[in-house]
Amino acid sequence: MAARKRAPSEESLEPQPKSQEKPTTTNSTTDLPPIAPSKAAQILKLSLIFFVPYSYLIFSHYSIDADLKRSIIINAVLSSVGFFVTLTMIPVASRYVLRRNLFGYDINKKGTPQGSVKVPESLGIVVGIVFLVFAILFQHFNFTSDSNWLVEYNAALASICFMILLGFVDDVLDIPWRVKLVLPSIAALPLLMAFAGHTTIIIPKPLIPYLGLEVLDLGWMYKLYMWLLAIFCTNSINIHAGLNGLEVGQTIVIACAILIHNVMQIGVSSDPEYKQAHAFSIYLVQPLLATSLALFSYNWNPSSVFVGDTYTYFAGMTMAVAGILGHFSETLLIFFIPQVLNFLLSLPQLAGFIPCPRHRLPRFDPQTGLLTGTNDGTLVNLFLRQFGRMSEKSLCILLLVFQAICCCFCFLLRWFLTGWYK
Amino acid sequence: MTARKRAPSEATLEPQLKSQEKTTATNSTTDLSPIAPSKAAQILKLSLIFFLPYFYLILSHYNIDADLKRSIVINAVLSSVGFLVTLTLIPVASRYVLRRNLFGYDINKKGTPQGSVKVPESLGIVVGIVFLVFAILFQYFNFTSDSNWLVEYNAALASICFMILLGFVDDVLDVPWRVKLVLPSIAALPLLMAYAGHTTIIIPKPLIHYLGFEVLDLGWMYKLYMWLLAIFCTNSINIHAGLNGLEVGQTIVIACAILIHNAMQIGVSSDPEYKQAHAFSIYLVQPLLATSLALFSYNWNPSSVFVGDTYTYFAGMTMAVAGILGHFSETLLIFFIPQVLNFLLSLPQLAGFIPCPRHRLPRFDPQTGLLTGTNDGTLVNLFLRQFGRMSEKSLCILLLIFQAICCGFCFLLRWFLTGWYK
Repeated sequence: MAARKRAPSEESLEPQPKSQEKPTTTNSTTDLPPIAPSKAAQILKLSLIFFVPYSYLIFSHYSIDADLKRSIIINAVLSSVGFFVTLTMIPVASRYVLRRNLFGYDINKKGTPQGSVKVPESLGIVVGIVFLVFAILFQHFNFTSDSNWLVEYNAALASICFMILLGFVDDVLDIPWRVKLVLPSIAALPLLMAFAGHTTIIIPKPLIPYLGLEVLDLGWMYKLYMWLLAIFCTNSINIHAGLNGLEVGQTIVIACAILIHNVMQIGVSSDPEYKQAHAFSIYLVQPLLATSLALFSYNWNPSSVFVGDTYTYFAGMTMAVAGILGHFSETLLIFFIPQVLNFLLSLPQLAGFIPCPRHRLPRFDPQTGLLTGTNDGTLVNLFLRQFGRMSEKSLCILLLVFQAICCCFCFLLRWFLTGWYK
Repeated sequence: MTARKRAPSEATLEPQLKSQEKTTATNSTTDLSPIAPSKAAQILKLSLIFFLPYFYLILSHYNIDADLKRSIVINAVLSSVGFLVTLTLIPVASRYVLRRNLFGYDINKKGTPQGSVKVPESLGIVVGIVFLVFAILFQYFNFTSDSNWLVEYNAALASICFMILLGFVDDVLDVPWRVKLVLPSIAALPLLMAYAGHTTIIIPKPLIHYLGFEVLDLGWMYKLYMWLLAIFCTNSINIHAGLNGLEVGQTIVIACAILIHNAMQIGVSSDPEYKQAHAFSIYLVQPLLATSLALFSYNWNPSSVFVGDTYTYFAGMTMAVAGILGHFSETLLIFFIPQVLNFLLSLPQLAGFIPCPRHRLPRFDPQTGLLTGTNDGTLVNLFLRQFGRMSEKSLCILLLIFQAICCGFCFLLRWFLTGWYK
């Protein structure tokens, strides 16, 4: 069951009167206080850790076709504009969202002054809409397009758009969690219908003697696998949550890893179709990274806005789509190791063997400002139980570092196994 | 400025208290009374006026290819299932929507007991989601598909999905009306990008003489025209509203006209590409009609649910997409004559030359139960001023008959001009 990130407005037991400023429709948005300024400068400086090596790889280290390079750069420029647009729109949208009582209280600050601030929810809708606009506009600029590419791209947009819609409907109407599990399966359908690629897998070399074949055509089983992957990616990000900045942070780390992987594969490969597949992934993940960085500037500890299921579903689906249509879904799964671990830890409670509370968040002590792990089956609580009590910020940083380590482990694994298994 | 269909919750001057049943998150949905039963049987009987001639044309009167006929029939079956699913989901969704205070009061019944009932808003979201699911599933069943068709279909789905998303965001967050005008322009972009058809128009025969050529390639101007058409269709349905059942009713009438036109064009034509274009329109409009009929069963006077901007935007965009990708946009515009008239009547107020109130609805007299026309520039008020006071139900029926007459006029016009101008 997805742990709600923060106590949403309907969770609190006092009935919620609509804000008193709201009786007139015209000027009420200006009465509400603005959210805290973004931490964009800080975030951008940190992100150089990624952007500098990434740009080096694209421009200098590898020799990439001029056309392809130009498309990637155009996409990067559009994504940067998307970053600024998202950065500007989040405070604007926050006023509208607060006006409609879509807010929550930060449970992990309960007992401190910060814990009684109304934090606007579902700002993932801003990220989603800006992403869609720029992803749609990019089609016009992409020079290396052909009909098959357009089908996959439009199917990707349809799937991602449908997921954002379902995520936002969930945030607004608060759908029962069993229905929530099923939503990504519906949103993934355009993807499945349009997938025109190979449904074959390459047998790892060590196993060829035992199986007697080099490639295996899985047919409909491959489509089933894609479908399950989409459902998994969206829901797994949703349940690995609960700390300020964790949802966006994990997405950013994985997105960086995906982009580095894509660039490396384009650089070393000579198969144009293979390069096109990885470029396709870049075209989706660059805007995801840029808009997420903008959201992170407001969502990092202490959170000025909450992201909502809209964001986690959107991010999960976008990365699943990139992995599926870019043909690197096994690599994606290794990037997702923390999410997989979290899912496995959560299984007993999700399946009902162990009682599952509404929130499986750690316990916050207002006196010390530290979190203590409970016995719930989540990675957050596991880390607290292993490493002792710590502040929310430190814990989140630790988890993000763990995410980065898993991604690096994936690169190491691929390097060791190159030539050996494929 | 779009006239809000009913006084939405935030327009009333009393602050809106969240319903007391809502304090616990789990069982509140069963405490609320369900909405009135649907008028489905009545609506279905009426709709036979259309279905009998339509299926006669498709199955018997014209000799249509077996493949094409099979696809159309499969789409019709899927649409019927969609009708039943929508019919079932609307009461379910209404509970969730009421729980989150997305409701309005029926202004045209103010002063009567019906006027204090909380009517759930934005039920267009149910129609939109069911439409998308069945439209996505249909891809799997369509036998006469090729790559170009898939691009257009996925672009259509992306545009319609994006429009539903923006419509729902508008219903929830109540975006300013200037922004509302712009939303369809963004949602129409996937369509423009994917449009691979001709941008040429055929010069009417009488003018060839003067112009000296038979076809004219408009290039980017044709794309601009498509774009403006999408913006127009969505917004024009939105402002021709304000009576119970008017928004859904007009959509149903136009959809029926579109389907008859498509069937006739497929029947008389021998150009496979031309037939494919009209079939494409059928594949989108049949589900639109079926899901709209289900909504109409709850929305017809007296309305148990309101449709919200979600529905009007969705319906307008779907019909615009069908008209554009089906290559019959001029015919579509003639079906839209009442909407065009309403738009022209509204222009002075929309442009600000004449003061524009928040609602441009007629005046309701609780004593007599009749509506009286005001001096506002809408078709609703014009009809009241011309034909005198009448009840809301009669007025709506009159307007829908006027819509049907305009569609009939279009068929007559095409019949007279056949061979003469093309």
